[in-house]
Amino acid sequence: MKSFVLKISLILFFLSKTTKGDVLFSSLPRSLFVVASAMEGQVLKAGEDDITVTFGLNQTLTNQTDGSYKKAKVKLCYAPVSQVDRKWRKTNDNLKKDKTCQFTIYNKPYERNVKGFKWNIEKDLPTATYFVRSYVYNDADEEIAYGQTTNGKKSDNLFKIQGISGRHVSIDIASVCFSVFALLSLFGFFFIEKRQSKVKS
Amino acid sequence: MEVSQNSDRKFTLPVDSEHKATEFRLFSVATPHMRAFHLSWISFFSCFVSTFAAPPLLPIIRDNLNLTATDIGNAGIAAVSGAVFARVAMGTACDLFGPRLASSSLILLTAPAVFLSSIANSPAAFLMVRFFTGFSLATFVSTQFWMSSMFSPNVVGTANGLSGGWGNLGGGATQLIMPLVYSLIHTNIGSTKFTAWRIAFFIPALFQALSAYAIFFLGQDMPDGNYVRLEKSGEKHKDSFSQVFYHAITNYRGWILALTYGYCFGVELTIDNIIAQYFYDRFDVNLHTAGIIAASFGLANLFSRPGGGILSDLVGKRYGMRGRLWTLWVVQMIGGLLCLLLGKIGSLSGSVAVMLVFSVFVQAACGLTFGVVPFISRRSLGVISGMTGGGGNVGAVLTQVIFFRGSRYSTEEGISLMGVMIMCCTLLILLIYFPQWGGLFCGPRKGVTEEDYYLSEWTDAEKEQGFHKMSMKFSENSRRERGKKGASVPITSDKETPPTMV
Repeated sequence: MKSFVLKISLILFFLSKTTKGDVLFSSLPRSLFVVASAMEGQVLKAGEDDITVTFGLNQTLTNQTDGSYKKAKVKLCYAPVSQVDRKWRKTNDNLKKDKTCQFTIYNKPYERNVKGFKWNIEKDLPTATYFVRSYVYNDADEEIAYGQTTNGKKSDNLFKIQGISGRHVSIDIASVCFSVFALLSLFGFFFIEKRQSKVKS
Repeated sequence: MEVSQNSDRKFTLPVDSEHKATEFRLFSVATPHMRAFHLSWISFFSCFVSTFAAPPLLPIIRDNLNLTATDIGNAGIAAVSGAVFARVAMGTACDLFGPRLASSSLILLTAPAVFLSSIANSPAAFLMVRFFTGFSLATFVSTQFWMSSMFSPNVVGTANGLSGGWGNLGGGATQLIMPLVYSLIHTNIGSTKFTAWRIAFFIPALFQALSAYAIFFLGQDMPDGNYVRLEKSGEKHKDSFSQVFYHAITNYRGWILALTYGYCFGVELTIDNIIAQYFYDRFDVNLHTAGIIAASFGLANLFSRPGGGILSDLVGKRYGMRGRLWTLWVVQMIGGLLCLLLGKIGSLSGSVAVMLVFSVFVQAACGLTFGVVPFISRRSLGVISGMTGGGGNVGAVLTQVIFFRGSRYSTEEGISLMGVMIMCCTLLILLIYFPQWGGLFCGPRKGVTEEDYYLSEWTDAEKEQGFHKMSMKFSENSRRERGKKGASVPITSDKETPPTMV
């Protein structure tokens, strides 16, 4: 038992060593610009509408080198108002544990300027308030820079997506019918019982 | 048609004077005893599957319905709080209408809540369907009542433990069943996520409804027939609600066991609700793994609760009621200690190991509790079972509200403190005393018999009309609770004024 605990502790110790190399969001430079077609306060419908995103290296900032940028991803991220009281969407500075951005809408090798790629809002997107963020990765698949449509506090230029309910008329009808049938058969039970007791007497 | 004379009836299993089976044969479906067993555990299992069908699918439901952590926590508490009063009501219904009608009615009445879960569209609706679905957990009481009506005292612990344990199994099985059904619908049929979970709920709903029909058409209340017929033929007296209720609430033993059951079964329900998140957050396992760990806690019910019941019967055979009480006390105390330990362990494998041992002890304590409950009252067996069962749910509500709500305690602190509370509440078992058999520390009072205890629930007027016949038979059959030593003590009869039940 003791040697088992020792082995587990050693494994966990070495694991913790390797995770020292985790990327922190606060360490990333904001060297990208991102522009999305979704306006402030706009409500988009999942499964119907789409978002057009333009992003790339922010040329207005000086001394920007993108030699190490190998891959680019664009993600849909939850705004703070949609993270309140929801631990499964929590922002964590350690990007490995961060749950802010759960939907990837673009994932390709890096290009300095990507103009207007369109993304259909998928049906299983939940109803929430969002913004758009892009990350670029180096060879080791680590984030090295980012850009986003909102400000640092994530309070600006946020838009809503209205998710589908998942309900269909057929499901509604089926569940109501089955419920009614269950209740009717309950009355049937009582009726049968009453009749049996009358038969006896 | 039912026969008029009891002695003419032939049963597959050996029976006692009340025609309750004195043997338990698991793989038989013989009417009426073993059939009642299989009907009761399967239907109770289906109710557990329905009540805990939402938790494994919460990652999808919470996005569909835009739930917050508070909404989820409240719904979890609602799911177990409905059954608090439903269980007491069910106990009364069993005493008055019989377990067959009482349980099939309740199961059918709550099935719509499960069907309508498919069309829930808001946090409020979600809370409502979980609340009303939770009422179905009252079938626990009818299960225990039915087993106590069908099986003789020497095997009643086994029957109660197996039916209760295999029913509780539903809480673990659902953590595996619902995700499986969901992924079949989502992947194979191709429905979107938010539609697939809705369709998935039809499975537990249909299962539940079908089990209600099975009980109604295939089951019977007592070995000799259904209440309706027995009452008409005069074999069973139709009792008065107020008397039944009065004799239950004035029996202090019922209240003590109600509280202590809250700290074995209530703790089990609480753990069902919080353990997946605990492992997910503290040890960083993924949701899938956390779900499997959560399921294994509930699945231990396959053998641990029945084990408690069987142990109760084994100990009862040798040491009588005193042995049953001692074993219950020791096992539940150890359960509390393990709970305290669980919160303190910082490693994943250590935690899983302790949790598994803890699950065995806490579930065995549940089985041991219902090895004692059938003896507390004969007239008010249903209400006592209902109070104890309801107490279990009260314990679940209390522990979740005190220790697992908001951010006052971290989850591990909450678990350890819950362990301390288990141990404190279990001390009350020391106070249980049966005049005819004794308690933990005191032996039986000289000259007091089982008849004195059980017949004191009936007034002289009622006895003159012969309403107390079943209590007479039960008293005879419960003589075994004296244990091997007491069995040889002569039974004194003809008492003019029997001592009132204290």
